[in-house]
Amino acid sequence: MKTNPIAIAVATALLALAGCETTPKSNATLEQARAAVQEAEADPNVTKYAPTELDRARKLLINAEGSAKQSGSKVETSSHYAYLATQMAHIATQRAQEQVATARIKAGESERQQILLSARENEANSAVAQARTAQSQAEAARNEAQNAQAQLTQAQAESQRLAAQLEDLQASQTSRGIVLTLQDVLFDTGKAALKSGAERSLDQIAAFLNEHPERRVQIEGFTDSQGTNDYNLELSQSRADAVAMAIIQRGIDAQRVRAMGYGEEYPKASNTNAGSRQLNRRVEIIVSNGEQAIPSRAAAGAP
Amino acid sequence: MFTLNGIRNTFFCAIAFGIVACATAPMPVEKLAVAKSSIERAEQAQAAQFAQVELASARNKYAAAQAAADKHEADIAARMADQADVDAQLAESTARAKQQEQLVGEMDNSLRDLRNETLRRGNSGAGATTPQPITPSQQ
Repeated sequence: MKTNPIAIAVATALLALAGCETTPKSNATLEQARAAVQEAEADPNVTKYAPTELDRARKLLINAEGSAKQSGSKVETSSHYAYLATQMAHIATQRAQEQVATARIKAGESERQQILLSARENEANSAVAQARTAQSQAEAARNEAQNAQAQLTQAQAESQRLAAQLEDLQASQTSRGIVLTLQDVLFDTGKAALKSGAERSLDQIAAFLNEHPERRVQIEGFTDSQGTNDYNLELSQSRADAVAMAIIQRGIDAQRVRAMGYGEEYPKASNTNAGSRQLNRRVEIIVSNGEQAIPSRAAAGAP
Repeated sequence: MFTLNGIRNTFFCAIAFGIVACATAPMPVEKLAVAKSSIERAEQAQAAQFAQVELASARNKYAAAQAAADKHEADIAARMADQADVDAQLAESTARAKQQEQLVGEMDNSLRDLRNETLRRGNSGAGATTPQPITPSQQ
């Protein structure tokens, strides 16, 4: 192969041209810088977080453009500024990214605090709820105990009061019930009308029956053995009726009150002298033990 | 003579100016210093780990700038120093951004764990707004 002088000349010329072709390279660098700056400008985070760096990049780009237009200026000068502009635009982008990340970390930190706070609140709330439940349980138990105590106290007071009342009336507890005896001094001889002296006893009995509405009362009249049986039976019945009437008049339901006359039966004493006969002349008031009916004298085998 | 002297004076003056210009052609000492401190900041920001390429570029250009300064090539030294400076700044900002983003990732994970944890405890324990009756596990 022979070397062609023309070909060599063309190749040399091309090489020379290529050597001179620094303008496209500079344009490429400039193009890159424009793109980088535009990209940074388009990013709102950059304009927000790195305005200083973006501004520097813009000024460097203006320098690069200016040097490129200036005919006398060296190509390297434009390329140099273009490079600086590109890097500065990247720096702006990186700074903005750093700030965005920092802001997210801050937000995350406050979210973390929020989560921890609400978790603590939850724990506190459930602790409070537990405490409240325990407290109300304790209170309920205490109330129950107090009620029981009150009931006990009331029952004790009741039995004490009952005992006091019984004692007051000089009554005695028997299998038939509470027996209270009104002596004949409360009646005039041969009469059935009650004397005023009986009233206090009757008031107390009525009050007692009022407080114990379940209890019944039976009034039994007795005489000594003087006089005829018929007379005695009638007198004892009349006296028992008088006492029953007095009790009913004090507000006690007639259904709860029974009156019986036994005449000279069931004597307390022998009837041989005045003292024992006086013991036999009496009216007995029997208050039932609770709700049950008062057993008859015969059934109870009472004296 | 006068004219000749004038021409000669002018000539000497020009030479003198040229020498002065050459002698004081300022080496970009300040730019080199700026570039050096930017590189150091980048290194402190762990750019060696997070922005290797940018840091290497900055170091190479700084070395080139020093070499040019040694050869009294002020223009090249200044350009290389400027480029080393922006490369170092980019290395630093890239390293910082990457580290912050790493932190964001870690934080997101820990937040997710925390949310799950509180959710789990909230479900097993008594509720926040409506206190549940005491369950045996709590007693």
